[in-house]
Formats: sequence, C-alpha cells, structure tokens
Amino acid sequence: MRALLRSELFKQRSTRTTLGLFAAMIGLILLAVLLHGFGLSAASLGDPDVQLMVLGRGEFLGVLFAALLGALSITAEIRHGTIRPTFLFTPRRARVVRAKVLVSVVIGAGFGLVAGAVAVTAGTAALRARGIDVQLDRGDHTLLVAGSAAAAALWAAIGVGVGALVRNQVPTLIGLCAWLLFVEGLLAGDVGSLGDVGRFLPGSAAAAMSGQDPGTLLAPALGLALLAAYAAVAALAGAFATSQRDVG
Amino acid sequence: MTRHIDEGEQPNTAAADVTGAVTIRSLTKRFGELVAVDDLTFSLQQGTITGFLGPNGAGKTTTLRLLLGLAEPTAGEALVFGRRYRDLDEPARRVGAVLESSDFHPGRSGRDHLRALALAAEIPQGRVEEVLELVELETAAGRRVRTYSLGMRQRLGLAAALLGDPELLVLDEPANGLDPAGVRWLRRFLRRFAERGRTVLLSSHMLAEAAQTVDEVVIIDHGRRLASGRLDELAEGGRTLEDVFLELTGALS
Repeated sequence: MRALLRSELFKQRSTRTTLGLFAAMIGLILLAVLLHGFGLSAASLGDPDVQLMVLGRGEFLGVLFAALLGALSITAEIRHGTIRPTFLFTPRRARVVRAKVLVSVVIGAGFGLVAGAVAVTAGTAALRARGIDVQLDRGDHTLLVAGSAAAAALWAAIGVGVGALVRNQVPTLIGLCAWLLFVEGLLAGDVGSLGDVGRFLPGSAAAAMSGQDPGTLLAPALGLALLAAYAAVAALAGAFATSQRDVG
Repeated sequence: MTRHIDEGEQPNTAAADVTGAVTIRSLTKRFGELVAVDDLTFSLQQGTITGFLGPNGAGKTTTLRLLLGLAEPTAGEALVFGRRYRDLDEPARRVGAVLESSDFHPGRSGRDHLRALALAAEIPQGRVEEVLELVELETAAGRRVRTYSLGMRQRLGLAAALLGDPELLVLDEPANGLDPAGVRWLRRFLRRFAERGRTVLLSSHMLAEAAQTVDEVVIIDHGRRLASGRLDELAEGGRTLEDVFLELTGALS
C-alpha cells in the first residue's frame, strides 16, 4: 500500500492540476469573502451568525475544491487512459481506489486548512477595515479552520468515490458542483420539502463542522460523524464498483 | 506489496503443468447480444513472437484485455504463466503491455509518467532512465507528453511496459503511427527481446509488417480462431500471409 500511496501522491504532484485547483480556490475565497465583507450592510455584518457565514466561505469553497480534486484523481485517469497502465501495474483495482482516497484525503485536508485560514484572515481584516466589531473569538476561529480542513478531507474522499462510480469526468464534476452549490440548497431550503431533514445532507454536515448556523445545523461533532459515514460509503462503493466492472 | 499470499493464489494443480507464457482456453466474452470472443483457444510458447491477427472488430483487443485482467471473461480462462494476471505476485515484472498508444496525461512529462508507474511497482527510479534510453526518448523525457508525436508516444508506452524487465510483452497494434525507421527499430527490438528466450504477443492488421516480424500467427475473426501455427508453414507454396488471411477471413463474411 505504501508504494501505491507514493505513486498516487507523485501523480498529484506531477501535473499542474492540483496547483491550478488550489489557486482557483484561493482566488474564489478572496472574492467571496471580500464581496460579502465589503458588500453587506454594516448592520447585518454586526450579527455574529452573518460573520460566521462570511468567514465560513472558506469551508464552503474548500469542500468544493477538495471534492473536485478527489474526483479528478480518478476521472482524469479514465479520461486520458492512464487508468489502463495503472491497473496493469496494480491489477487489484480496489487497492488503487483506496490509495487515491487516502492521498486525496490528505491533500483535501490541506486545501480545507488553507481555505479556512484565508477566509478567516481576509474576513476579519475586511470587518476591521470597516470598523465593525468582530464578535467571533478564538474558539470560533479554530472551529472555522479545523472544521474546514476536516470537511474538505472527507469531501475529497466523497469525490473519489463518486468519480469511481460515475467514471465519466464531465458529469462527475458538474454533478459535484451542482450538488454543493445548488441542489442541496434547494432541497433543504424553503422551496424544498426536506425541511428538517436537510441538515443531514452531506453539504450541510460539512457546514455544521465549521460551526455554521448553530440554530439549524447539527453540532460540529455530529456533522463530522455523519460526513465521515458518507465518505466511507462513497469510498467503499467506488472501490467495490471499480473492482467489479470491466475497464474500458 | 507486503502481502504475498493472496486469495486465489493457492497452488493450482491444473495450472502447474502449464509451461506456456499465455494460455487461452475456451475463452468467451459477451457484451449483451454481441459475442466479442467466442470459445477461443490458443497458447504461446516462450521465446516466440506471435502475431495475433484479424480484421477490425475481430476481438483481438478484447482478448488482450481479458488476458490482462482488465475485463472478466463470460466463460473460459486466459492465463499468463499458468495464472490469472491479477494473481501474479509482481505482474509488472513478468508481463509488460501496451493497449493504447495514447494512455498518457498530456500535462505530465514522459519521465514522470514512468516514475509514477515505477513507484507503484517498487521499481527503482534508475530503471526509468534505462528504459528511456532503450526507447531513445532521453532528450524528450522532460517534456510534457502533449508535445510528443504519435511515434514518441508509442515508444513511451513501450518504455512503460519494459519498466519491470518482463518476460512477456503484449502489444496491441504497436506499429501504428510509426514511420518506416520506427517500424524497423521496433522489429529489431522485438527480435532481440525474443532471442533472449522472452515472448511477444502482438496484435496487428498490418500483415506485410507482421509477416516480417513474427514467427507464429493466430488468426481470428468474429471472436473465433481461424488458424494458428508457424508463419512459414501457414504461408507456404508461394502464398503470402495476406493471401492466407484474406482467404480465411473472406470465407466467413
């Protein structure tokens, strides 16, 4: 397994994909945090829940990009055909998926950690620049950053699992984006009929982990446990499907 | 790999007396209604170059995928060195294979493509430089594969297959995209490879080229074996391999 982990880590380092995703993530976080921080009225930004939401853009985008990173680790191999030599060198295909999950979890955690830290730093700076009293303490900040790291790590595993199940790159990436940016919000929001059940969805569980919306969402520890279960199911399903199905 | 004993690797008495590098027995693969490989049987002896010939859609690539564990047979078996490919302890050190000439990430360098594979099979990184030299890609190795010509991609694929210094090479249409010098280079390379007692199975529909390279042929169409044997015995009496091939495959259509 160690050899496979090294190989998968090297694959991530030897193209520009990882770096490109990372740069795009940082750019989007700065854009989102600064737009909120300077665009919202001073009155609404005084509310600690709104402050949490603005600083939580790090978790939100960290999760999205970690999911894309995980998905790309397998769908890019399928798209470019490198999956064939990969499986010729490691014919026990489930092992390859497990290695991809582990490596993506580690890199995803790094993405989430940086995402959370950048959002907290930029958000706090924006609030201060406008002379708004920052109502969040060190505990909130720690939860924002640590929750973001853990949520992104687990969503990276979900990305690998979904990628291994769907295989085709474009639908996988569109599906993950649509789910996180749009579908889950619709289902859990006012127009969806899920209501209370919405907080058990995987994107909401991720938001809960960074302490978002404490009145509605689960407690952070519960969010972690729930998202870990989602990640385990996705990774196992992806590994099983990959071991059973013919390689194109 | 830390685990050397895996499920499915128990001593197999039926396989113990199989000495051939490749053993295909009653192999069948169906995709729904389509029968891609139909009760196919043949075997390869070590130290030979065998041409696996047939028209487009004859089932050559499917057979190679079944042999290499990328697809599951509907019935029958395809063995390398008496075992299923996935049950080999260190498959990359026994079998090298190239199925497609374009299985690279365009944004990764040729050298890094080989490094990633070498890491997975615990092959020393020094071997990467050796195979790069073997296929004469040293100078291009640091460039992204997107800048490679088709011939360079073919040679990079071959380099990957050679990483583990295998005893058996399985190549699907290896001469596609090679210029005349490349074709001659490949032919000499395979000849030297086989002279050291190693085995080559190469699929092709370029008969004139195959006739210059191979010792043995297996001709299939519609997933069934039409003929097999030594090239010089099949194409005797002034007939070319092409004559034999067209006669055999034409009879079915």
